[in-house]
Amino acid sequence: MAGPHPPAHPHSVSGSSPSWAGRRIGIGAALGRVSIVLAFAFGSLALGAGYWQVVEAPNLSRAPNDAAVIAAARNVLRGEIFDRDGNPLAWNARDANGEPYRVYASNSLSGVIGYSSRQFGAAGLEAAWNAELSGVVSADPLRDMIRKFQVDPSDPQSLRTTLVLHLQDAAIEALGRNRGAVVMLDPRNGEVLALASSPTFNASAVANPTTSAQTFDRLRTDDRAPLLPRATRGLYVPGSVFKIVTSIAALGSGAVGPQTTYADQPESEETGWLIDGFRVRDGHHAATGAQPVAFAEAIEASCNIWFAETGVRTGGDALAEWAARLGFGAAIPFDLPTVVSQVTNGDGPLGGGFSDRVELANAAYGQAETLTSPLQMALVAATVANDGVLMRPHLVLEATGKSGVATINPSVIQQVVASGVANEIGAAMRLAVSGQIGQVFTAGANLRGLAVAGKSGTAELDSGEAPHSWFIGFAPVEDPQVAIAVLIERSGGGNVKASPIAGDLLRAWRDWADG
Amino acid sequence: MTAAPAGRGLRAVGRETRRFRAIPHVRGRELGLLTLVSVALYVGSVSLGATQRFRAQLRTGEPGPVDLTTPSDLGLLAIYLGALFAVHAALVMTGRRTDQILLPTVGLLGGIGLLLMQRLPQDLAGSLGGLAQTQLVWLLIGLATVAVLAIAVRSDIWLRRYKYTWAAVGVGLLLLTFVFGRDVNGARLTLSIGPLSGQPSELLKVILVVFLAGYLSENRPLLVEESTKVGPLRLPPLPYLAPMVAMWAIALGIVIVQRDLGAALLFFAVFLLLLYVSTARISFVVLGLGAFILGAGLLYFLFDHVRTRIDIWIDPFVDPSGAGYQVIQALHAFARGGLIGTGLGNGLPSIGGRPPIPALHTDFPFAALGEELGLVGILAILGLYLVLVQRGLRIASAAQDEFRAILAAGLSLVIGVQAFIIAAGNLKMIPLTGITLPFVSYGGSSLLANAVIVGLLIGLSERARDPLPPPRQVGRLRRILDRGAA
Repeated sequence: MAGPHPPAHPHSVSGSSPSWAGRRIGIGAALGRVSIVLAFAFGSLALGAGYWQVVEAPNLSRAPNDAAVIAAARNVLRGEIFDRDGNPLAWNARDANGEPYRVYASNSLSGVIGYSSRQFGAAGLEAAWNAELSGVVSADPLRDMIRKFQVDPSDPQSLRTTLVLHLQDAAIEALGRNRGAVVMLDPRNGEVLALASSPTFNASAVANPTTSAQTFDRLRTDDRAPLLPRATRGLYVPGSVFKIVTSIAALGSGAVGPQTTYADQPESEETGWLIDGFRVRDGHHAATGAQPVAFAEAIEASCNIWFAETGVRTGGDALAEWAARLGFGAAIPFDLPTVVSQVTNGDGPLGGGFSDRVELANAAYGQAETLTSPLQMALVAATVANDGVLMRPHLVLEATGKSGVATINPSVIQQVVASGVANEIGAAMRLAVSGQIGQVFTAGANLRGLAVAGKSGTAELDSGEAPHSWFIGFAPVEDPQVAIAVLIERSGGGNVKASPIAGDLLRAWRDWADG
Repeated sequence: MTAAPAGRGLRAVGRETRRFRAIPHVRGRELGLLTLVSVALYVGSVSLGATQRFRAQLRTGEPGPVDLTTPSDLGLLAIYLGALFAVHAALVMTGRRTDQILLPTVGLLGGIGLLLMQRLPQDLAGSLGGLAQTQLVWLLIGLATVAVLAIAVRSDIWLRRYKYTWAAVGVGLLLLTFVFGRDVNGARLTLSIGPLSGQPSELLKVILVVFLAGYLSENRPLLVEESTKVGPLRLPPLPYLAPMVAMWAIALGIVIVQRDLGAALLFFAVFLLLLYVSTARISFVVLGLGAFILGAGLLYFLFDHVRTRIDIWIDPFVDPSGAGYQVIQALHAFARGGLIGTGLGNGLPSIGGRPPIPALHTDFPFAALGEELGLVGILAILGLYLVLVQRGLRIASAAQDEFRAILAAGLSLVIGVQAFIIAAGNLKMIPLTGITLPFVSYGGSSLLANAVIVGLLIGLSERARDPLPPPRQVGRLRRILDRGAA
């Protein structure tokens, strides 16, 4: 190690520093300064930590991407969901990491309960009642105010729904491979007994973290759209079931009476009733003959011409207004998000926004631009059944948490139409199921031992595909306790598909109601 | 090399050897501090145990009272504390009058690290047993190393005489890593030989300090007194710029080839600090900083991995779920901790059974402790590192010659600067680098290298307390002793 400098000392430091004994080794001052610099550096670390831990802490630790916020959502044991009789519909299991995930009782629930998945969020009742199920709000509003001071502030609540698991399963079984929806509710209080959408999907597989991604990917790209909750979000041409809406508007406004007939109606059956160059056609002439039909018979025979003429006489304004009282034109107040039903899509010059009398005449019997959801049509039937009073539909009876039970009481939306008018329409609907002519259209819905009232519908589609098949109704006529709407997409006439399904489900309802 | 093997050579100088005989010497201050450390760690373990049991009950929904008094895993802690006291006992028995502050300080840091490893998912790393068990094994090896070095190292001749040999070993290690290193997480830091693998840069930092101490102490007079004037600047004599340039080039090489920004930053910072310590010339530091800025600028524009690191540092929120994820999550961890922390075992919310930051045990223990111990705990930990550095610098300033002074200063600065770099990186004050938090982070190489540093510091702290013999005699005596030791 020959240094470039003289004198070379093999391994001595002391020797090379001639004056070291006097001033020690002379690095004390430099060491002192380095030490001060380092103290300042560590002081700046303390300031940095203080900035994040005190100044910025409130913002950061409440941000949605904060791991604690995410973990709390993932680790909370969601409240369980039951049907009205206490049968479990949704509960929790735990994965390998001890984190809970959802399990559902049946695929038939997919359209109403939905799912709650870590990766893909939530849908259905799981999404609508997420705050209660995950416990971020309390059943008791007083407790809500003091919750943040508690050791475990979360209060997941279990829900007792209005649903009947047995009816829900029966509805899905009846729908079979068809695409469609069934809504059953209690007209007296708005409690939804079944809310089925077909095709269903396996919500448990969506919720299970090991199958979640694969399942959801497949569902998203499935062209049968199983993720669409058809009962509440599907929008369909109603066809003849809309005649009940027209009836409420016409009789309710007094534009026509139950005995109103149209003299030109019987002969128009042959070639179609001409209005402004458009011919409204009909197909029941063989049954009703040359005698003009009045309201009840028009319902029974589903007379398009009677309703077209009634619609024009009632006027667009009144039709739109009375439809709005039933829920058209706005989202239905409900636990789940609902689609907006319409009588027309335009803002045409005619009252109510109809573009001309042809559209109005066609809308009056459920064609033209009328579009509606199965839930909306079930509410129409329920209003008729409940003496003209529309109840707010709801899905939850009770939310039970640590702090107690919150009960959801029935609430009235409004008296849509006078009870006398409602009963008049109800009687006509009974005739449509039990009458000689009506039976043909509602085959399968006329039950022995349960007086069913109803109306079928065959909604013609512009695309030329097979029509939607509808049935709406209620039972028992003397004391209505259940209203129903059945829709089968692109399947043919109401008498072919929807009416027998409605009959089956009403029979199932009677078995359930009888215990 | 305690008392018995003092050797034949020593007998020749007569009764001088008495200094080396093992007369037990009470180390009261160390014992007191170690007792405090034990109490602190025991309290920590009890708190961790209660929290873990409470959380487990919460998870399974099992009702009933929580056992609040049993520590988390007393076995691990007991072994660790036992080892600490064993080192203390060994130091007492061998009777050397060495520093009594370093061991308790390091012991507390290591214990905090052990508690942290105990509360993390045990399968996070560690092929043998769990995370905590592996860490304990390395802590024990580290403590043994501290004890052996603290007792055996009396002379620094073996370091100063072979400084170029050490340098060669260092450069060799570096080249081996360059060529044969395994890429882990995008950085080539790990060298595997058979079943053994380690990060040579940890050992390299010790070797670097040894070499710098030798080089700087030898050339100090020239560096201090001669200078080249370039305009108004008084620059160091040009021939002696060579090592500076070499050092700069090595740091650049580490960044480019190993992609290890942290080690490069550490080496270069320690080099500049030691240059200043030995020369007291601020112009060297200015020059070095200029070279640093130039190099950093070049690297930023030429190398993607450097650019990414710096861009993330400037704004991690550009890609919050990708590149910026760890940095942001670390800041959230600090924020959750707040002033007093969540308590051991109660922070670091696990998502899918994983802590929110993947490299928590190696790169982010500072953030983890910031969450669970709060700002109060962070200040305490920063204080522990300051104590370490101040003790080391004290040993340096009390040293009798330049080599030992620079060596001690360098060894303590390595720890201080390394702690600063990773803590500042966690706090988003400088770009994040992947170096360890000394004594706390998980990992054998890091614990071992830092144990070597502490062992050397303790061992070399002794003479500072002896009265100064006249210079000549020191030189003669040491030469004689060296022959005996060799």
